[in-house]
Amino acid sequence: MTELKGRPDTPLEVEEAPMDEAEGLVIVSRSFGRQTWDRFRRHKLAILAGVVLLIMTISFWAAPALSPYGFEEITPDFNQGPSLEHPFGTDDIGRDLLVRTFKAGQFSLLIALLVAVLTTVLGAVVGAVSGYFGGAIDSFLSQVINLFLVVPSFIVLLVVAVKWGSNPTGIAVLLALLLWTSIARVVRGVVLQYKEQEFVLAARAAGAGSLRILWRHIIPNTFGPIIVNATLLVGVAIILESTLSFLALGVRPPTPTLGNLVDAAKGDIDSDPIRVLIPGGFVVLIALCINFLGDGLRDALDPTTRRVRE
Amino acid sequence: MGEQRLLEVENLSTSFTTEDGIVRAVSDVSFHVDRGEVLAVVGESGSGKSVMAMSLMRLLPKNAFVTGWASFEGRDLLSLSEAEMRKIRGRGMAMIFQDPMTALNPVFTVGNQIAEAVRVHQSVSKPLAMKRAVELLDLVGIPEPGQRVDSYPHEFSGGMRQRAVIAMAISNDPQLLIADEPTTALDVTIQAQVLEVIITVQRATGAAMLLITHDLGLVAGVADRVQVMYGGRVFESGDTRDVYYGGNNPYTRALMRSVPRLDERTSDRLSSVPGTPPSLIRLPRGCVFWPRCEFSEQVCRTTEPELIQCGTDHVSRCHFATTLPEFEYGARLGA
Amino acid sequence: MLGYTVRRVLTTIPLLLIATFLIFVLVSVSNDPRSRLAACGTCDESAFQRLEELYELDKPIPVRYFGWLSDVVAGDWGVALSINSIPVKDVVLERAKNTAIMAIPAFFLIAGLAVVLGVYSAVRQYSTSDYVITGFSFLGISMPTFFFALLLQAIFVVWWQEWFDLKPFYVSGLHTESFGDLVSSLTLPVVTLTLVVVAGESRFMRASMLEVINSDYIRTAKAKGLSQRTVIFRHALRNSLIPLVTIWALDFAFLMGGSVITETVFAWPGLGVLLVNSIFAQDLDLVMGVTMFIAVIVIVFNLIADLLYGVLDPRIRYD
Repeated sequence: MTELKGRPDTPLEVEEAPMDEAEGLVIVSRSFGRQTWDRFRRHKLAILAGVVLLIMTISFWAAPALSPYGFEEITPDFNQGPSLEHPFGTDDIGRDLLVRTFKAGQFSLLIALLVAVLTTVLGAVVGAVSGYFGGAIDSFLSQVINLFLVVPSFIVLLVVAVKWGSNPTGIAVLLALLLWTSIARVVRGVVLQYKEQEFVLAARAAGAGSLRILWRHIIPNTFGPIIVNATLLVGVAIILESTLSFLALGVRPPTPTLGNLVDAAKGDIDSDPIRVLIPGGFVVLIALCINFLGDGLRDALDPTTRRVRE
Repeated sequence: MGEQRLLEVENLSTSFTTEDGIVRAVSDVSFHVDRGEVLAVVGESGSGKSVMAMSLMRLLPKNAFVTGWASFEGRDLLSLSEAEMRKIRGRGMAMIFQDPMTALNPVFTVGNQIAEAVRVHQSVSKPLAMKRAVELLDLVGIPEPGQRVDSYPHEFSGGMRQRAVIAMAISNDPQLLIADEPTTALDVTIQAQVLEVIITVQRATGAAMLLITHDLGLVAGVADRVQVMYGGRVFESGDTRDVYYGGNNPYTRALMRSVPRLDERTSDRLSSVPGTPPSLIRLPRGCVFWPRCEFSEQVCRTTEPELIQCGTDHVSRCHFATTLPEFEYGARLGA
Repeated sequence: MLGYTVRRVLTTIPLLLIATFLIFVLVSVSNDPRSRLAACGTCDESAFQRLEELYELDKPIPVRYFGWLSDVVAGDWGVALSINSIPVKDVVLERAKNTAIMAIPAFFLIAGLAVVLGVYSAVRQYSTSDYVITGFSFLGISMPTFFFALLLQAIFVVWWQEWFDLKPFYVSGLHTESFGDLVSSLTLPVVTLTLVVVAGESRFMRASMLEVINSDYIRTAKAKGLSQRTVIFRHALRNSLIPLVTIWALDFAFLMGGSVITETVFAWPGLGVLLVNSIFAQDLDLVMGVTMFIAVIVIVFNLIADLLYGVLDPRIRYD
């Protein structure tokens, strides 16, 4: 019998027993980035969506660059169906619709990205300030955010778009002004949640200033939800922009966007439906990819929604 | 003897399929409960004790996989149809849950929920079931039960809600009460009261009880037998006195030292079991407790110990079960 | 409860004032009736002056707001210059009725479908049917209303006729000659609205139901020996419907607020089309009237949702 080395009357030392990686008590913790990637990778649809989105984006820039026609160039052939020369046909004043469609994809995507960036910046700043400083600032900003919930914002958007939304930058700003509250609410929630946590209190006790605490300890925790929400916002923005442009309240021709191409072709839907279906289909495809991508990112970046597999 | 056996469990194992792999929460557990007796199942969180209970009730999520054999009043629990199992839930075996704040449905009155439990298994009219609910609330010590029966759960304090849950559990005179950490979520000041209510109704109805807890101090006075679990395995099992006085298992010893004693000298430091319970996904090789064990030897790292007989109906999962040095602490605790 | 209701109604009044004021400002700065005259070659200075007088354009916006507000309270919403100067109030109420004809059946269809789909896919989480329903709702969320409406139109105007020589539904306008006509003209717009709105609602219902199904009190209900059916329909459904009520109220307000796109594509003479036309005509009183009407509907339905929430959830107390 081996000799016992017990020390029965002294409490167990609060120290980790020596162990080696392979056989000991090791709680395997993969790095955050690694875990995130592992979880994201499982979403085959999200990956597929990302790839399709990438291909679309590349083609939006490549096709107009490679095409012999300019997107505003008027050719002698007008109102033509698809042909070798003009695979998507031409519109009523003879512009090549393939170039216009891909250029429209470019504009629509750029507008949506600009919306996502502006929204995120505005929403994150307001949300962080509101959550961190609390008090009167918070109640004022919260009231403003709540006001957006109870006002029919899309209707108001229609009313103001007629004056300010006719160019790409204008419409992006309008959409950002409409959409920022969702990000603000998310960021405010996360900031409130971390504000009272011990590591933040410790930093404060150690004399760190407000901005430093906010920047070093709290803001990083908002990145996950922000990335997820900003991604989904791109989809919302694409749909809203194309809707406004479809109503002729958004970007006006000759600048093409996917929405105003549909608007221009909707009268000919009975004779020439593909002019509607192609640009409209692009909107659906982009929005669908972004929603799948956002869903995958949500699972990967938000540990609270981790799910059990069967 | 056979008549005495209410619940018999052999080689019960429960695994979950998760995104990080297969987790074996309960591993080869065998035990029995006799009619009218109280068996305490003790262990830290993650020791598999709650999962074990839920496996017997067959209330685990779909990703759980249960093997082994469990017989309740002679019926094979794991192979019963869902309809037959429903007849046992609430009538044969009833549960008292850990968190009374969330265990009751917020949109129905307390009386309504107790009456519902009565009416599942007994064909009585609604008014009669409500009358029974009032009696049950009275039995578990809720003042003015005639009025409180129409209250919503949120109008009750935590302790009162737990009493209501107890009333619900005994509404069909079950043979076996499964109490899963019934006092853990409550204020310290009312834990003792609620435990007393449980013991009182258990004795009054003559039901057997599976009392699941992490607190060895709690069970000393109430349990007939104790079963200590760790890492999904039974680590020690025996009569309460034997387990407390024997000191035959290092994990049980460590648990006992973590029980606060009012009569201890203050200079003695209160100890918790060092280290953290193991991740069930990557259990240590050999004895699952060795990395935290004060007595661990080379053999512990390589070979998992069997349950070793230490006395009549007293077993311990330790290579050194019968050769560990004296342990006085447990004797003092059990006294 | 009564006290809470009164208080809640009273707090809605300042909200209405702030919201209508902000909308008034936005409408006023974005819509200038005079801009229409700039394109008009034959109009002289007096036309400008008449417009300025009519809309009091020389006064500051807050003054104009209080003038407008007191007129509205007195029952005068102004006149619709673009529709033969008929009173705004008459045209708005008439169009609101048309919108309601479409919105009410759509609402009940959406609400019912959302509950059925949400409960079904939550109860069978990760089953094939759950994935199919989830897939459809992703498609619904990603589909702009105008595109789906045009798609339906293309199918039923163009292809259906080509293939089957049938024209099963009206593809534009509101036809009330007979009940059959009404149903026929409602079909495509209602289907459009349903697909677009039900996608989000059923996702919400699924999430809400899943949260409830995994809660402790559902485990308690099962431990009592209740059947799966009783657990789902008696215990889980009611709890998971509580948060959906808010969504219903908002969606109903959205539908009543004139589903601009659907109405536009199907030429439905409702509030949405009226709004777009009035914006293009820069018909200031009409734009204001429609926008404010919709805003009031949305705010009132928010209030109703709040009150309903309290009725359904006994945990919410009002004193």
